[in-house]
Amino acid sequence: MLSPGADRSAADLIARIAGGDETAFSQFYDRYAGLAFGVIRRVLREKDAAEDVLQEVFWQVWREASAYDPGRGSPEAWLVMRARTRAIDKVRSIRRKEQTFVAPVAEGTARADPERREDPGLQAEDRELVEGALARLPEAQRRVIELSFFEGLTQVEIAARLREPLGTVKTRARLALERLRTIFGGKGSPAG
Amino acid sequence: MNREELSELAAGYALGSLDGADRERFDALLRAGDAEARSVLREFQQTVVALAGELQEAPPAAVKAALMDRLAAERSARPRAVAPAPPAARRRPSVWTVLTAAAMAAGIAAIAVGLAVSTGYERRVRELDRQAGALRQELSRQQATMAILRDPSTQIVALAGQAPSPEARARVLWHAANGGIFVSASLPALPPGKAYQLWAIAGKNAPVSAGVFTVDARGTGSLQVPPLPGVSRVDVFAVTLEPAGGVPAPTGPMYLVGKS
Repeated sequence: MLSPGADRSAADLIARIAGGDETAFSQFYDRYAGLAFGVIRRVLREKDAAEDVLQEVFWQVWREASAYDPGRGSPEAWLVMRARTRAIDKVRSIRRKEQTFVAPVAEGTARADPERREDPGLQAEDRELVEGALARLPEAQRRVIELSFFEGLTQVEIAARLREPLGTVKTRARLALERLRTIFGGKGSPAG
Repeated sequence: MNREELSELAAGYALGSLDGADRERFDALLRAGDAEARSVLREFQQTVVALAGELQEAPPAAVKAALMDRLAAERSARPRAVAPAPPAARRRPSVWTVLTAAAMAAGIAAIAVGLAVSTGYERRVRELDRQAGALRQELSRQQATMAILRDPSTQIVALAGQAPSPEARARVLWHAANGGIFVSASLPALPPGKAYQLWAIAGKNAPVSAGVFTVDARGTGSLQVPPLPGVSRVDVFAVTLEPAGGVPAPTGPMYLVGKS
């Protein structure tokens, strides 16, 4: 999936989609919808909402393929970031709505609820189960990945949340990705 | 900027967590085509994609179906035919209700678009078919004319004006197998409810109708005559004034006549 050849043909597909080629779009979806949906589901618990987001992400791909800039990364990275960002936006908008309409629940009460039904997203601090490569990171690095990539906090926000210096957060982000790159086999790809 | 600093910016960028100033710095490097920045970023992005790859989950087929419906609706120049996915409602059942409604709307829109498109195509096909039919008719008329003109056995008969219209004249080109062509000039304008009728007479047989025709302001008329059953060689052509639509045997005054 991540070999240079696959990469090139993904870029070809994007170029054809930009030209209005529906077959190319269909192929691109078949190839990458699972990748995008996995990220969305990790960020957004509600399956219905996650499906909405997936549809919106690919609709954006269709409408905005011409804005894809290969100088800023592969089509997969482009798609993954869009999926992640839209899913985080959705979590935030659902939270905002719940704060507006279900506000009478005190913050302390909501936090005491063990199932946290009201929270559409996953809180890194509360996650007991971490699987895969992330589980092999030191706790502090894993947290930075969770808060930045899956919760959408900026490095300044993470520093404030963790009460750590900004420089420490930046270093942890770099170390975490370097370590993951090693875990995934030096090339950053589990597949090959 | 040292290598470590560049790597930290790239890592933050790949995770989508750079703050304003840092983001602008790294964006500027990418825009400038900085090879090292691009290469470090690409490595980290591949790592992020690999991390995402661990989470792969096949989405339900309905999502793709809805997307392709949206594309089809947009293609039909009806970008709003299918509403964008509605915002998730607060309660689960209403989410389903809204999604079901959206799916139904998408289905109905797809059918409507399909019908509109197919009706449009059918109309065009019918129109093209009609035009092709007209062209085929015109072509076969031309071919009949050419066959008549090319064949040396074609008779050419001149018709002269009679008492009601001494100045009128006409020609008939007659071919037993291919039929004939009749043209006239200077015939009087037709009274309402009347038409000129051309007759073919062979020997002592009764006149056979070769068709009716009208004339323009200059008395010009023409008639393409199909081969007449039982008529080969024609001895006399004549034109009489008859009720519009013609009659089985001549009843009115004779305007033109000619012997072969």
